[in-house]
Amino acid sequence: MIQAAAKTENTQSALISVNRILMAAALVILFFYFVVYVVYAANLIQFPFDYDQGEGFELVDTILFSQGKWPYLDTNVYPFYSSNYPPLFHVIAAPFVWFFGPAYWYGRLLGFLGTLVTAWAIGYAVYRDGQHKLVAILSGLAFLASNTVYHIGPLFRQHMSMVMFEMLAVLMLAHANEIVDKQKRRRAFIAGIVFIIAAGYTKQLAYATAIAALAFLFIRNPRRGIISALILALVGGAIFVGINVATNGQWWLQTVAANVNDFYPDQTMGLFRLWFGLHGFLLIPAVLYVIYEFYFDRLSIYSLWFVAATANSILSGKWGAGDSYFATAIAAMCVLSGLFAARTLTGQWHFAPNYLTRFLINPFRRFAPLLMSAGFVIIPLLYIGYGRAVLHMPTTGAVFEPLSQILGIEANARNGFYDSAGRIAGGYADIGHLTTQADIDGGNAIVDLVKSTDKPVLSEEAAFNLLAGKEVITNPTQLLNLANNESYDGSALIAMIENQEFGLIVLRAQFYPPAILRAIGDAYSHEEEVAMNGFNYIILRPK
Amino acid sequence: MLKKSLTKRQLGLLLFIGGVIGFIGIIGIDVLDVGREGGIGPAQRIALGLMVALALIGLTLIPMKDTPA
Repeated sequence: MIQAAAKTENTQSALISVNRILMAAALVILFFYFVVYVVYAANLIQFPFDYDQGEGFELVDTILFSQGKWPYLDTNVYPFYSSNYPPLFHVIAAPFVWFFGPAYWYGRLLGFLGTLVTAWAIGYAVYRDGQHKLVAILSGLAFLASNTVYHIGPLFRQHMSMVMFEMLAVLMLAHANEIVDKQKRRRAFIAGIVFIIAAGYTKQLAYATAIAALAFLFIRNPRRGIISALILALVGGAIFVGINVATNGQWWLQTVAANVNDFYPDQTMGLFRLWFGLHGFLLIPAVLYVIYEFYFDRLSIYSLWFVAATANSILSGKWGAGDSYFATAIAAMCVLSGLFAARTLTGQWHFAPNYLTRFLINPFRRFAPLLMSAGFVIIPLLYIGYGRAVLHMPTTGAVFEPLSQILGIEANARNGFYDSAGRIAGGYADIGHLTTQADIDGGNAIVDLVKSTDKPVLSEEAAFNLLAGKEVITNPTQLLNLANNESYDGSALIAMIENQEFGLIVLRAQFYPPAILRAIGDAYSHEEEVAMNGFNYIILRPK
Repeated sequence: MLKKSLTKRQLGLLLFIGGVIGFIGIIGIDVLDVGREGGIGPAQRIALGLMVALALIGLTLIPMKDTPA
């Protein structure tokens, strides 16, 4: 009897040791990705040109806001510029323009800091509900280790700020109903609703989070849910109508009507497969946790958020969309998988009696101690497996080159970068590499060419014009959005091209409407190409 | 009543009704707009699948009776 007890104690002690070693290994792996992320962010923050397509136009939006102007303009009137994004991210960045002028670093820094806040909030949510510090840290780091988050986190783009506001909203509302003090409860509700509105006015995609949050509030207390929905509709609607009136209807045309793009189901399927391939180790526990809450416990806001965000990711198949559309679902996945892990390690699973418990749980109750022991090994292995699945790192440099040789990986993306995603799905961001001095030299060469003409320059990326001190003309992808929705005339811009009023045209992805590209082809000739950041920029001059 | 949490049964009913109405609504797009080309498109098929899933999840929650959702 004593021997059996001693044996059990030894086994338990050995299991705890194995768990600690494996958890430490998981922590080291995920911390490594955090270091890679910081290196990448530091590199991008110093890069003075567009890194990802369209960043420069977010900077133009910011400049316009800093001057007290709306970016929602008539694209048929010179300089043919408009934006399709809500204003909040650019409004937050606008004060930097007053002090530092037009530059990319502060937008990228804001994006990067936003992801750190999100990671912290994920960790806090897991710790608050799961009471396991190490799992909470792993959950936050897992978010930053995701290939998708890594790609877009330190960009001058609003997407990750939206995810930050979404995460803060669900964090505020998750336990707001249980707050006894009326004043504090009211403050939590108001903060949650303010964060939802902030997310929606950072990027339209946040509507899914609003639906999930309101559904949660309705389930927990229908009266509060209805009141919250009314407040949200009233405040959000008033802002919407106000901007629309102030911009003579351009707000509706540019941010809503022009955003209805073609849907490619194959792109959605490819991105969902890729999402599972990269995040499957944490997606499975997250899904199991959702099922658990649906049938054996109370539904949390995190589960509803995950379901809504995953369903919303179907839109990743739209033209112009991509893997970034999964970022919200990844944040929710990190929370839920963390809660799954914490419950397993602390033995906090409870199954409410119902018809499913009788068939699915009760026959296996005798295996509970065995499953609990297995959990000590499986949980850290899930994080280690996740760490292996999301492998991404530069393969050049004093540290990364020897490390990549040890790991036996070779660059499979631009500029010496390895990405386990392998770039197999359409819509997957073809970025992540570090920029080099050669890229900066290439960018400066294009700026010199832009400076060399007295005429205006039509550039597909804004940086060259901004750094040359010239006016930015058009936002090509927005023209294409409008053209695809039959809301673009283009005759004034085409006339300028036909009259060769631009001294130079700079193309990269050629995301202009076909009619514009035809006019360029007729009036301008391909002069030279300048390499920058893995792309060839085509320089055209009047024929 | 509005100050109390929904039960699993009530949630199940809501999901089931929502799924059925959503399914009929999506099919209805083609019935009402008969001039549309291509029949039920890929986006519609995905939406129909989601509505079926919603209704089925609702059905499985209905037997859970008065357990708070």
